[in-house]
Formats: sequence, structure tokens, C-alpha cells
Amino acid sequence: MTRSERSRAEPGRRWLVALLLACSAGSGAVAQTPEVEIQIREHLFYPAEVRIPANTKVKLVIRNLDATPEEFESYELNREKVIVGNSQGIVFIGPLAPGEYPFFGEFNPRTAQGKVIVE
Amino acid sequence: MISAVIIVLREVLEGVLLICMLMASACAMGHRLRWLPPALIMGFAGALAYGLFLEPISMLFDGLGQEISSAVILLTTALALVVYSGMLAANATHAGSSGPASGVLLVCVTATTLSLLREGAEIYLYVYGYGVQAGQMASVLAGGTIGAGIGLSLGTFLYYGLRALSRKACLWASAAIAMMTGAAQVMQSTYNLEQADLLPSMQALWDSSVLVAESSPAGEILQAAIGYEATPTAVQLGLYAASLLLSLMAMLLGRLYAGKRRERKA
Repeated sequence: MTRSERSRAEPGRRWLVALLLACSAGSGAVAQTPEVEIQIREHLFYPAEVRIPANTKVKLVIRNLDATPEEFESYELNREKVIVGNSQGIVFIGPLAPGEYPFFGEFNPRTAQGKVIVE
Repeated sequence: MISAVIIVLREVLEGVLLICMLMASACAMGHRLRWLPPALIMGFAGALAYGLFLEPISMLFDGLGQEISSAVILLTTALALVVYSGMLAANATHAGSSGPASGVLLVCVTATTLSLLREGAEIYLYVYGYGVQAGQMASVLAGGTIGAGIGLSLGTFLYYGLRALSRKACLWASAAIAMMTGAAQVMQSTYNLEQADLLPSMQALWDSSVLVAESSPAGEILQAAIGYEATPTAVQLGLYAASLLLSLMAMLLGRLYAGKRRERKA
């Protein structure tokens, strides 16, 4: 379903969709944003190290293959998103300066650790 | 178990500080705490519903539903706190000038319900996922109880601390807390909007994590209380400052209004 079809289907949300479109139009072509997939299996991130180019916006697609929920969290990236068991979530990051940005799973902080390496 | 303590404490801290400030200041304005039970019930019921339906909510707006709903909740709470800071300033200037009692109650109920809803949903997901699904109920419950206990103790400390002050001091201190926690909610909403690519993500202006790391206990408390961010961007700082400015304007208006009422009575 495209955004315009959805806004016809749900007239009550039309204003919010319009707001969304207006905002995303200002932030450039979403289609060109590179995508990186991270999987959560047995409370671990795969891959645990994600390499992305500097000064580029990247769309992280986080797939939680466990039955339990996990929260993708990073103090350095200022990101926090709950991903329910057997579902996926999108998190935009960047543009970032070169460096390392650790992230972790808040519900399994000791095992679920990873980092985004910007180079 | 330690992670359960930390997870629950992190989630309850913000809500407990906010609710205890509302309780202490509403009492100081002469309102009884009748608004509290319905607000708590709505907050817990809302948390349960938000947690249960988080997956379909997340899938709204092309997978950005969680960010958008969080941002709307945070900004609504922030707006309620701006209005409340004005009411507190008015009442501190001249008793009984905070407008109709229903207005005060509406603000208290809104802020309490929304803050419980957002934080409570995460606790529900954690407890259900790890206590029930993964079968670690004993350690989740033990850790969660300790975490909630620490949070509630800090809240009790704040409540009695504010109540120990004179009426005026309690109201001004509460107005300051409302202003700062409101700005903290605005700051958090910027993370959600950036995460959804609705606000531009920019280079940080500075990095103060050497002084206070966001992951340290002091950093966590500062983040809940004043929206501390070690690596703020210009957009974040601008919106944070705008929120503080709005609260200051609300307080000034409240003060002017109450001053006029006092003159008329005199």
C-alpha cells in the first residue's frame, strides 16, 4: 500500500501522513539511503560490527529472530527502539563522523553488544 | 538480575520524579490527590495496551509508528508541563490564581497517564518476554522490584523534600522541575524524530561524555531530570532552548495574571 492509498483508506490520519510527507520531502530522497541489516539471534547481534561510510545517512533494518523482545539502544548514536519478538524495526543513523559507536540490547546488555564503525 | 534492576530503574525514574513533583505541587496549591488513582489506572491500562499492540503500532507509517507515537506522547507531556509551570507561577504569586481546578487536574492526569504509558509499556514487554516467555520470572521479579523500589524511594524523597518547603518555595521549585523535565521530554522526542528521519541528524556541537557519561548513574539521573545529552546537535539544542523559553513565558504570564488578580482584590 502506498502512502497516498493509505491516507485515502484512513482519512483520520490524513493530516499526520501529510505532515510526515512534508518532513521527509525536506530530508532528501529516502530511496537512495543505503540499507544495512542486523539480525538478533539468541540475544546476539549479527553482524556485531557494522561498517558504514562517513557523513552518510544509513537505514538500519533490525530483524529480531528471537521470540523475546529486544531493545536496540545506543548512547553514542542516541537511538532506542523496542523490537518485539519475530519482527523487525527500522532505525536511521548518520550522517556520522568517522569513529566507533557502540550499541547494545537493553534487555540483554551483557551479551547483546555491537558497534557501528564509521570510516 | 542486575540487568532487571537497571532496566526497571531507568524506566521508572523519569515517571516517578514527574509524578511526585505533580503530587507535591498539587497539594501545595490546595488540591486533593483525587486525580491520582484514575491517572494511575489509565496509565497502567495504557501501558498494557501500548505494550500488547507495539508491533502493529511500530508498523504504522512505513515502520516508523513507534517513533512517531513516542514523539507525540513526549511532546504532549512537555506541553502539559509548560502549562503547569505557568499555573504554578500564578499560584505562587497569589494563592488560588492557577485558573479553574479542572485545568490543574487535567494537566496532572495527562502528564501522569502519558509518562506511565510510555515507560510502563517497556517494563511490560520486558517482564512478559523474559519472565514469562523465557522463564526467568524469579530474577526478573526480584530485580524489577529492587529497581522500582529504588525509583520509588527517590520519588518519596523528592515528594517530602518539596512538601517540607514553604508553600511558595515548593511551587517555584516545582515550576523549575516542570520546566526542566518538560525540556527533557522535548530532547527525547528529538531522538525519536531523528531516528525516524523526520528531523535532520547533524554533527554534534561538542562531546561532554568525558565529564559525565550518559551511561553513568549521574548521567542517567541528569538525563531523566534535565534531558542531559553529551553530544547535542544544533537542532536538539534549539528545540531544548525553545522549550525552556516557552516555560519561562508561561511562568511570566502566570505571574502577571496573578499579580493583577491580587491588585483587584486589594
